Amino acid sequence: MTTEIQLRNLQKWFGSNQVIKDFDLTIAAHEFIVMLGQSGCGKTTTLRAIAGLESIDEGDILIEGEPVQHLKCSDRDIAMVFQSFSLYPHMTVYENIAFPLRATRMAKTELDAAVREIARVLQISDLLDKKPSALSGGDMQRVAIGRALVRQPKAMLMDEPIGALDAKLREQMRAEIKRLHIKQGSTTVYVTHDQVEAMSLADRIVIMHDGKLQQVGPPEEVYLHPANLFVAQFVGSPVMNIADIDIGSAGGGAEIRLAGSDKGFAFGEGALSGISRDAPVALGIRPEAVLLSQSNAKGHLPAVTTNIEPLGSHDIVDVKIGDQTLRARTESGFVGGEGQEVWVNLDPEQAHFFDRESGLSLRKAG
Amino acid sequence: MTTLTMTRLDPQSRAARRGMSDISIRNLFIIPTILFLIIFNIFPLLYSLYYSFTDFRASTNAPANWVGLANYRELLNDPFIWTNFAITAKYVIVSVAGQVIVGFGVAMLLNRDIPFKGLITTLLLLPMMLSMAVVGLFWKLLYDPSFGIINYALGLGRFEWLSDPDMALYAVAITDIWMWSPFVMLLSLAGLSAVPKHLYEAAAIDRAGPLYTFFRITLPLVAPILMIAIIFRTMEAFKTFDIAYIMTSQPTTEMIAIRLYKMAFQEWQTGMSCAFAYIVLIMVVAITNIYVKYLNKVKER
Repeated sequence: MTTEIQLRNLQKWFGSNQVIKDFDLTIAAHEFIVMLGQSGCGKTTTLRAIAGLESIDEGDILIEGEPVQHLKCSDRDIAMVFQSFSLYPHMTVYENIAFPLRATRMAKTELDAAVREIARVLQISDLLDKKPSALSGGDMQRVAIGRALVRQPKAMLMDEPIGALDAKLREQMRAEIKRLHIKQGSTTVYVTHDQVEAMSLADRIVIMHDGKLQQVGPPEEVYLHPANLFVAQFVGSPVMNIADIDIGSAGGGAEIRLAGSDKGFAFGEGALSGISRDAPVALGIRPEAVLLSQSNAKGHLPAVTTNIEPLGSHDIVDVKIGDQTLRARTESGFVGGEGQEVWVNLDPEQAHFFDRESGLSLRKAG
Repeated sequence: MTTLTMTRLDPQSRAARRGMSDISIRNLFIIPTILFLIIFNIFPLLYSLYYSFTDFRASTNAPANWVGLANYRELLNDPFIWTNFAITAKYVIVSVAGQVIVGFGVAMLLNRDIPFKGLITTLLLLPMMLSMAVVGLFWKLLYDPSFGIINYALGLGRFEWLSDPDMALYAVAITDIWMWSPFVMLLSLAGLSAVPKHLYEAAAIDRAGPLYTFFRITLPLVAPILMIAIIFRTMEAFKTFDIAYIMTSQPTTEMIAIRLYKMAFQEWQTGMSCAFAYIVLIMVVAITNIYVKYLNKVKER
C-alpha cells in the first residue's frame, strides 16, 4: 500500500483524435490524487490506462518503479471502483467482496476473516447475504469499494465512484471515502468532474482539459493560484469573473478599466508589477473579491444590480459596470432587488491577470 | 366485461359501414383459431386418451373393448419398452450435450469483433433450416462405407457407421448435433452479448483468470437463456423420429418414437400405442418441468 505511480510522457490516440497529450505525473505513496476535468477531457482514459483496461500509444507507466504498460491489468495488482459499480449481479454481497480473493485462491478461513473485516469497516456486515439488486445506491458503492479494498491492492483507482448517487448520499459517501483513505492510506487516484469532490478529497488535484494536464497542486493552491484561464474558471463556484481590461495609470498607481467603462479601479503599482501594458490582458476575480457597498467610498465605482441569487448563507449578486457583468458574493439580503444602484470595488490582493492569447496566468495573487 | 375494455370500433371505418360490430370482428378472429385447435389438437388428444384404455385396432372393424389400465400395465412391464427408453435417454444426453458444447463454443468464438460476423452467423445457421428428412438422407450418403466422404476424409477405410450396432446411435447423434448446434449457438450468442462488458473489466481488475471468469461470470449470466435452449433441444431429441428412421434401422437405434410408430402403424396396436404415447407425453412434461423449475431458480437475482 505504499506504492508510487509514475506516468511519463503518456500519449494516446483514438483514431486521429489524441485523447492524452504529453501527460507527466508522479503520484507519491499514500497520496490521494483527484483528476478533475470536464467529460471527454481524457481523465477517465488516463485512469483506465493506469489500470490496464486501455493501452497507451507512447510513454511509460511505472508502478513501484517497474514499467507496467505492457502488463495485463491482472498483473498490475491495482484495484478499481467503477462509476456503474460493476457488481456481479448473480452473487451475494459476500461473494462479490470475496471474488478477488477467490480468484487468487486464498485459503477459506483467511478469506472469510478478510471479507468480514472489510464489511465491518464499511458498515455493511448485515448486508452480506443480499444480492446487489436488493441494495440502495450507497450500499452498492460501499460493496464496490469493499471489493476493491479487500485484497489490499498496490493502489486504488476510482472512476467517478459517487457520480451516480443523489446529492445527499454523495456528501455522505465523500466523507466516508476520506475516512477510509486516512485509515487505509492506500495510494488513490480518483476521477471526477465535480470540483467540490475534488477540493474536499484531494491531497493534490490534477486538472485536465482536452487531453492535457493543466495544473497539479493542492486544492488551496489550485484555487488561489490558478495557472491559466481554464483552471481559473473550472475551479470555484460560482465561477471566477473574467473581464477584458485596459490598464492605465492614475496618480502613482495603476488604474484597471473594464472594457466599455470609462472609469477604473485604482490598483497599487505593486499588484501589477511585471505585467505588460500592451498585450491584451484579462482580469480574473472571484465573486468574494468583488466588494459591494451601499455608499460611495473612495475608489468605488457605481454599478447597477441585474440579478440576485439568494443561496441562504450568502447571495450572489450580478452587477453591471459598463458592458461587463461581475458576480459578487454578499451576505444574504445585502441588496434588496434588481435595478438598484450599488458601489463596487475590487480586492487587488485577490485579483488574477491572464494573458488573453495564451490564457496563462501573468501574476500570482497573494 | 370484455366489450368494456375493448377499443370501440370507429363508426366511420369500412367494417362499420358493412354492418359489423366490435363483437362480430372479435369472433371473426378468434373462432377459427379455437375451432382449429379443438378439431386438430384437443379432440385427438381426448380421443386417443379413450383409445388408450381399449384394445382397439384401426386395421380391423372389430369394436373397441374397454380394458381399463391393462395397456399401461403391459407396457410398463415390457422390458423391450424400457430398452427403447434407455436408448432414447442415451441419445438425448449425447445429442443435447454435444449441441450445447459445440453451439456454446461457436457462440463464444463469434462473440467478439470479427469481420463478416453477420455473414458467418447466417451461414452457420443453414443446417437448422434444412428438412430433417433431407439431412438424414444426405448424412446417410456422407457415412456410406464405400464412397462416403467421412471415411475418406478421416481415413477410416470401410468403417460401418450406420450398420455397426454400437456406433449407429452415435452416428445419428452426430448428425443431430450438426443440425441443431446452430440453434444453441444462436440463443447463446444472444445471452453472451447481453453480459455487460464492464463486468469483464471488473473481473480483470479483480485478477480473475480466463477460466475463473468463464465459470464465475459468463456461464452463470448466460445460464437462463442456455437453459431455454436445452429445454427445447431435450424435448425435440426425446421425440426424434425422422432422422433416426431414415438413416438406420438397427435395433440399437430404436428410440421410443420409432417404437411407437411401429406399434401404431406396422403392428396396428392402436389402443396400446395410444397408451404408449400418453406415457411418453407424461415423461416429456415431467422432464420439462424439472428444467423450468431450475430455470426459475437460475433467473432469481
